[in-house]
Amino acid sequence: MLSRVLTLLLPFALLLAGWEIYCARTGASPLILPPPSRVLTALWTERAAIGGHALSTLSVAALGFSLSVAFAVLTSVALHFTPWAERALVPVFVVSQTVPLVALAPLMILWFGFGLLPKVLLVVLVTFFPMLLSLLSGYRQTPQAFCDLLAAMGAGRWTIFRRARLPAARAGFLAGLRISATYAIVATIFAEYAGARQGLGIYILSAKNNFRADLVLAAVLVSAALTLTLLGILHLIARATARGPMDRSDA
Amino acid sequence: MLELRGLTVSAPGRDLVQDLSLSLPDQGITALIGPSGCGKTSVLKWLAGILPVGLQAEGALHLDGRPIPRPHPALSYQPQSDALFPWLTIAENATLGLRVAGMGKREAQAKVVPLFDPFGLAGTEALFPAELSGGMRQRAAFLRTIVQDSRFVLLDEPFSALDAVTRIRMQRWLTDRLRERPRAVLMVTHDLHEATGLADRILVMAAAPGRIVADIPVPTPQVRRDEAAMAPLRETLKSLLLEETPT
Ligand SMILES: Nc1ncnc2c1ncn2[C@@H]1O[C@H](COP(=O)(O)OP(=O)(O)OP(=O)(O)O)[C@@H](O)[C@H]1O
Ligand SMILES: [Mg+2]
Repeated sequence: MLSRVLTLLLPFALLLAGWEIYCARTGASPLILPPPSRVLTALWTERAAIGGHALSTLSVAALGFSLSVAFAVLTSVALHFTPWAERALVPVFVVSQTVPLVALAPLMILWFGFGLLPKVLLVVLVTFFPMLLSLLSGYRQTPQAFCDLLAAMGAGRWTIFRRARLPAARAGFLAGLRISATYAIVATIFAEYAGARQGLGIYILSAKNNFRADLVLAAVLVSAALTLTLLGILHLIARATARGPMDRSDA
Repeated sequence: MLELRGLTVSAPGRDLVQDLSLSLPDQGITALIGPSGCGKTSVLKWLAGILPVGLQAEGALHLDGRPIPRPHPALSYQPQSDALFPWLTIAENATLGLRVAGMGKREAQAKVVPLFDPFGLAGTEALFPAELSGGMRQRAAFLRTIVQDSRFVLLDEPFSALDAVTRIRMQRWLTDRLRERPRAVLMVTHDLHEATGLADRILVMAAAPGRIVADIPVPTPQVRRDEAAMAPLRETLKSLLLEETPT
């Protein structure tokens, strides 16, 4: 356990140390590349402001992400039971993923204003697809023997779905959830960057405009921490809902 | 009495099984043997109502003289793999058939739990399939099949994944369980020792297209079926199988 934590932290520690030494040796302007120590100091002195913005970002991301999870699960079930709709819609979803975030974020603001809606929508748009796809492929890849067994017992399509396909899709869905969770914070920050009153995105924008690289980096640090928190929560949920030894090991 | 009449299973362009008929009496083990790929699994799957998509089939199934639809509760099917669900405990796996048939969780558990001991599964109720040995998994799968209380049990190579010793133990165990709760069993096997040791009757299939070429009753009582006594029958079966499988 301890060694695992160490191998996890060591690369970060080396990176930060190298960075600190580089700044000290070359005397790089702190306006351009502040050393980590300075970033941490800035984070500490500005903790109240950054904390407020971070909380706002986290709540938008969490709301968007939760809606997206619910939406993805419902859509996956609907599409699973209407194969023609799956064939028709999945390509549309794929194409929607190719629209760059930088284009999407300002459009959302343009169409839906500066409130909560455009940001939540952006998070949903970005996180929905990986989850939907992981669910659909999970349903499809359910071992045929499981479905056959249930069918031979007299089960209909819905019972087969509920008792075999849904639980079989669990591991894939968790992987999709993790990917989506990492996008959720980034998407929120993008939306805030394009226009907001609160949030890390707008904080980063104003710090940049004030030539405060140290505050930009401090906010980046906080956003990374938010993503890790989200992943940690997912990990706990996965642990708590694990069924069987295989589930526990991949949770 | 279960009667299958004129079963033809075809893939695009060829018949896998052609005009196959068989009947199962209400008791006893019928072994179905035949070369690999001759269509044994296809026949069982058709009986269980789960023929793969892409295969066409024609044929009629009669129970006590009356046509019945498939799948039908009078038949329960155990696939070639044990198909235990990894996310269910052994107790949950064992009750699956009852739950699908609409029985409540409590009632199903109450019905199955007393059987764990006689089935050699005591203490495994709350374990998951991955935590069981191959022989135990096979017993759990068989428990799941047997508690469905169907008159006819279809087993697709139930012991082929087991090592030799476990297999012999499981064969004895199966005959004991069937003595306690008599069923008609249709069992696919590759193993001539298994067929001659367990079956009351042996159906021999030939390949391309699959059909039954011999229907051999085995009147020797179980207790007198030692290796030597059954050797002549095994030789007969071997020559039948070789004859039907051009090299
Ligand atoms: N879905 C399918 N589409 C086309 N052909 C199939 C399909 N499933 C099976 N077959 C063919 O049907 C034939 C019979 O298959 P089946 O699995 O019933 O044989 P088997 O006697 O059970 O073989 P084994 O002893 O190896 O289990 C094989 O030639 C196989 O290639
Ligand atoms: Mg087979």
